[in-house]
Amino acid sequence: MFNNNPLRRRQYIGSLIGISIGILIFIILPQKSSEEFLSLGAMNTGHEGLSCNACHTDAKGTMLQQLQSNVAYAFGQRKTAADFGTQNVDNKKCLQCHDRPNDRHPTHRFLEPKFKDAVAKINATQCETCHLEHNDTRVVLKEATFCVNCHYDLEVKNDPIDTPHAELIANKQWSTCLQCHDFHGNHIYQVAEKMKDTIPLKKITNYLSGGNDPYSNKKKHIPLSEEEWRKLKEEYIK
Amino acid sequence: MFVSKRKKVETIATAFGTLGLLITFTACGGGVPEDTTTTSSEMEEKKFSVSDVLAMVSEENDITRTLYTKAIVGAGKKQGLKFDEDWQDDAIEAGPLPALFLRGISSDIRKSDVPLGLYLGSDFPINASNKFTGKQAELFKKIKANEKPQFFYDEDQKMHTAMFADLAVAAPCVNCHNDHKNTTKTDWKLNDVMGATTWQYPSDKLSYKEAIAVLNAYRNGTKAIYNAYLEEIRAFKNSPKPEIGSKWPSGGFQLPTAEVFIDSIRKLASYKSMEVLMSNVEVPKKERVPALPNNEIEIAAN
Repeated sequence: MFNNNPLRRRQYIGSLIGISIGILIFIILPQKSSEEFLSLGAMNTGHEGLSCNACHTDAKGTMLQQLQSNVAYAFGQRKTAADFGTQNVDNKKCLQCHDRPNDRHPTHRFLEPKFKDAVAKINATQCETCHLEHNDTRVVLKEATFCVNCHYDLEVKNDPIDTPHAELIANKQWSTCLQCHDFHGNHIYQVAEKMKDTIPLKKITNYLSGGNDPYSNKKKHIPLSEEEWRKLKEEYIK
Repeated sequence: MFVSKRKKVETIATAFGTLGLLITFTACGGGVPEDTTTTSSEMEEKKFSVSDVLAMVSEENDITRTLYTKAIVGAGKKQGLKFDEDWQDDAIEAGPLPALFLRGISSDIRKSDVPLGLYLGSDFPINASNKFTGKQAELFKKIKANEKPQFFYDEDQKMHTAMFADLAVAAPCVNCHNDHKNTTKTDWKLNDVMGATTWQYPSDKLSYKEAIAVLNAYRNGTKAIYNAYLEEIRAFKNSPKPEIGSKWPSGGFQLPTAEVFIDSIRKLASYKSMEVLMSNVEVPKKERVPALPNNEIEIAAN
């Protein structure tokens, strides 16, 4: 058949090469070893080694169903769009591993109307405001002074620290908050009562960008590992 | 000229063809089922107003909080049980104070799929983060004056919001708040409006199923926080552990199990909750039982 038209041969070879590349991509990309290449950026502290599908879980339904649903949504025949390919990674997904009963600042707390102004400055209702993934860090905020958004008028009775909170606030020393208090309250440690005993700011900023934990190596709750989460998911999470 | 006209026709035909295909594709059904109950038949069943449902669950909350405050915290303290705001700290062996008990319920509701928000605030809170500001502060003034619930639509969050008075129903409320080292008010009296609960829900009408789900989420939250308290007791290292069973602290150094506690709340709350839930159930005419005169009801009850 190549004798009739030499172009046919080129088309044939071209098609074969194309199909082979397609098959290779189809086989290689879903491999665990390809995940680093596919990732948008290095994983955040503590998430190194997590599989993509630990967070990016499969969306409900087949691809055809998802397509149908979204077309229906575009034509106003259903109220909500359907996730396509993978599910959206939201707070609920984070909390499947990180939920703890004693979180000092749970995201849902900030949904109350009175936090409206604070949330406009820093959206504390979402985990990813501080912990946006694929950034090779622990906290993406540039400065550790966010406490000011809610605690600007803080008054502490029976103040235990040698430099009173009122003085720290008057001097706008908002970066000192984290030198005593861990935001989520998950560490087991003794809070300093003298400024000289507080954790140096440098250690705090280093921690926020993914460095060593300066508060304590003891924690009240340890998040689930990927294995534990998968096991639980099989049992309970539909 | 002829070619371009043909092309035009072809383009229009292709566009109509694609549109037709898309409509057919959509109309053939299938797709991923929607998470929300938004099918037309269920929409028709949305007979409960959000204010009625929030008032119902708020009533359950009042009963739960009163029972916990009086029968567990008040009676328990007399038996030597301790309650603390830092009850979950490892070094502290105590149970949750009533405000934190509510916070625990609220957190558990958020873990469910029911989009219900619950918050507790005051004009003189112990913890400054619980002080009302803005719209809530404004409405709380009215609540303080007449103890009537207040409803508003929170435009920012697109949430139907209700606020209900939180009264000093028991002596422990008054004594603990007046004596607390960080209190901002020391002259609370019994039955004072000490604060208000704020409830939020995204839609203005609820179906029977959704109303039940709201109630269930609240009850599950109560069970979860009470169980967390019992779990805390089991982990006590230096404090005596009360006996956990069917008895209440009023009778000794003991606590009811979660089942006994929840069952008591159900018994106290069922009548009012059922009244709301049944208010929208239409009984077909032929099944209606004629109302008995009052004296006959008394005779029947005896």
